[in-house]
Amino acid sequence: MLLSTLDVTADAFEAATGWSAKPEGMCKGDACVPVQSAVGPDGVIDVAAVADRLGMALLADDDAGVWAVGPESGGRALTTAVVPDIVLADVDGNPFNLSAMHGRKVLLVAWASW
Amino acid sequence: MWQALHEELEPLGLSVVTVALDLDPEKARPWIEAASPTHPSLIDSHHRVDELLGISNVPMAVWIDESGTLVRPAEGASIQPSPLAAMEITDEMPPRLQAVLREFKQMPQTGEAYRAAIVDWANLGADSRFVMSPDEVIAASQPRSAEHSRAAACFELGIHAESRGDHPAAIAWWKQAHALFPENWTYKRQAWTLESTADGAVSDKAQEVQDTYGTSWTDEFLATGGANYTVFPAL
Repeated sequence: MLLSTLDVTADAFEAATGWSAKPEGMCKGDACVPVQSAVGPDGVIDVAAVADRLGMALLADDDAGVWAVGPESGGRALTTAVVPDIVLADVDGNPFNLSAMHGRKVLLVAWASW
Repeated sequence: MWQALHEELEPLGLSVVTVALDLDPEKARPWIEAASPTHPSLIDSHHRVDELLGISNVPMAVWIDESGTLVRPAEGASIQPSPLAAMEITDEMPPRLQAVLREFKQMPQTGEAYRAAIVDWANLGADSRFVMSPDEVIAASQPRSAEHSRAAACFELGIHAESRGDHPAAIAWWKQAHALFPENWTYKRQAWTLESTADGAVSDKAQEVQDTYGTSWTDEFLATGGANYTVFPAL
């Protein structure tokens, strides 16, 4: 997840990482991790606190003025079997939400031209 | 290949969704147009499926059931026998090619079994013996260390540097990503394929032009060994 500011709304954080702010803490699918005051009254996520608690790398590129947040770590690549909302574009830039496939089995295949 | 599988299994309620891990979508376009897919065919220029689903090389696939739950984790997704593994090695071949082909012969040949497993799942759904429970899927996914998380962040910062035209900065970030998560071939192959030789020849599919990174696909493939090149499905 690339950030131009550390003032990120909970919704934007969830869209990029799959982790949502709930009363019980930060949750992804059926997995929840307690995080004290993860979200401020203005709806902004405390990125540094959440990243630290979930084992997400938080790196700054000072020259570019941006930050990057890595995925949660300390366990397996999957924290939950529930697939988060994944929105990707087709080759013409039209967005497609994977959740549109609900009701069908999906074989999701990663490939590349290289 | 994936379009044919999609057409075969769509009547059984299974759809193929392909995701191209290409920094530049235009590199993927000719392949997509040649395949004329009737299934969703998407571009993931930031390699988000690496972070979200555990993809670490291509081709790899995950199985997602009707409710949006993974029933198999990311694993190598060959669905036919490898022509390289079947190729006869001769003395006339360059030694490095001979070595590469020997490693291909060391790979578990899972293509036909993996295809059969997909067909079984399409037919039987949750009753397929290849379907895993949520706990099994999580346990069967690959380990994710703090270094792997840091590698993903480095890779992302490299993409950002590349997009603003600072290729040297991108290379520096990507070198870090490669060192932190050497098992992730998508970070390496993506970066390597952007390089050219001193005399301007572009990197080819074999990714042998590696002055920048001091290594090459062949070097690393031979060091890793064919048996460890991807996460071979245990079926």
